[in-house]
Amino acid sequence: MIANILIIGSGISGVAIAYHLAHKGVKDIVVIDQSYMTSGATGRCGAGVRQQWATKANCMMAKRSIEFFHDAATILDYADDIEFKQEGYLILATDQEEHEQFTHNVRLQNSLDIPSRQLSVSEARNIVPHLNPEAFVSATFCPTDGHLNPFKMTDAYYQAAKRLGVTFLFFETVRSISIESGRIEKVITSKRTILTHHVVNASGGYACEVGKMAGIDIPVYSENHEILVTEPIEKIQGPMVMSFKKNIYCQQVPHGSFLMGRSTPDQVQGHDISSSWQFLEAMAETVCEILPVIGKLRVVRQWGGSYNMSPDRQPIICEAPNLQGYTMACGFSGHGFMFAPMTGVLISEIILKEPPTLDVSLYHIDRFKKHMMDDIEKSVV
Amino acid sequence: MKAFYVMILALKVVNHVRIHKHPILDFPEKKVIHFTFNGQPQIGHEGDTIASALHALGFKELSKSIHHKRARGFYCAIGNCGSCHMRVNHVSNIKTCITPLEEGMIVELEEGLGRIT
Repeated sequence: MIANILIIGSGISGVAIAYHLAHKGVKDIVVIDQSYMTSGATGRCGAGVRQQWATKANCMMAKRSIEFFHDAATILDYADDIEFKQEGYLILATDQEEHEQFTHNVRLQNSLDIPSRQLSVSEARNIVPHLNPEAFVSATFCPTDGHLNPFKMTDAYYQAAKRLGVTFLFFETVRSISIESGRIEKVITSKRTILTHHVVNASGGYACEVGKMAGIDIPVYSENHEILVTEPIEKIQGPMVMSFKKNIYCQQVPHGSFLMGRSTPDQVQGHDISSSWQFLEAMAETVCEILPVIGKLRVVRQWGGSYNMSPDRQPIICEAPNLQGYTMACGFSGHGFMFAPMTGVLISEIILKEPPTLDVSLYHIDRFKKHMMDDIEKSVV
Repeated sequence: MKAFYVMILALKVVNHVRIHKHPILDFPEKKVIHFTFNGQPQIGHEGDTIASALHALGFKELSKSIHHKRARGFYCAIGNCGSCHMRVNHVSNIKTCITPLEEGMIVELEEGLGRIT
């Protein structure tokens, strides 16, 4: 098999990259996945999309991506519904320090045309009436943040990419990448040899391993983050409610269930994605403090998935400095789904040597070589 | 085939399906419990769950599917599946298959999803 470009990973990033390349006329694109589409982090994510970040790099990725989600069904000519719900994110400040950080964040977001604003406790309760007023001191709200269905969104990209001639290989594992005199020559999989000079690492939780196959040291690691979902009830909550200090995000999805997650303190690195009673207990305690009424609902299911963490909690989107033809989109630190449309655009621009839509130096792997990272994202659960 | 239709008809006419006579087991008469279902007075027996009382009375539709509003009946009968969720004494999402029937209960089919009260 010969591939002009081989994309490793058929999560949201891989399919978005495939679509944008194919849309620009690139032929013979192959997407390969060791399992099925959305089998990794995409199919396990909370699927919220927000623009309220503390760093410019993340704000810009998010804003452009949400603009894409808004029109995605039309752009991709998708007959089904991606279930895009744009009712905002309400982020709680739980102490004075967070309040001041959020004032700073909102100023940055507003400077980038993101319509976020700070709210008092009573203003926040006008938007989400069942919030416990004792649990927070102020909040920020951005009405254009939202939520969508990660399976449908990936399928929308997949269908569009297929129509443009992209080949998909599922249940096929990449074993090694052969490099001869500084150039990628072929990729050996569990089923065949693929001749190609271009590889895109969009392998989510396995980005570090797929980097090593080409001798590239990508400073990312995976860690398990857990989620639970409740029984469905009539709609009572529009926005995603989130708190960094309390370590929670909680959203009522369109069919009525509440979906919530938090990060596990001192989580060990690795590919474990199991569920724990410790998470269930801590999650229940946290949600009952902030949104007490949710304590009346039953939990129906819980699961885990991999965050691919980078040192500054911001993505790595660039060509490898020492290996031409090796492009990477990884280290999204739990936010690969919401940034995927821009990931697709930027990677296609890097590969086709087009002028970039955003300042891509912000996402280059070389930033970790500097003495210090300029900007570490703090707004992360 | 004809016998089958006769059987269906018989079930409709005799609107309860309780066992009264059995060659080995005894089924003594049990205390009657009064309750209402969708506003209509009904009778169950001590030891019934809400859903078993309704089933014996011939009410087979316990909820509706979320998207297509199709009838859902008895399914797991052990409190796992959610097929028998009803509003009981004005509280939503009660698992009627494992909730014992009590005197004076107000049992209602849920229109749409449940509500937090």
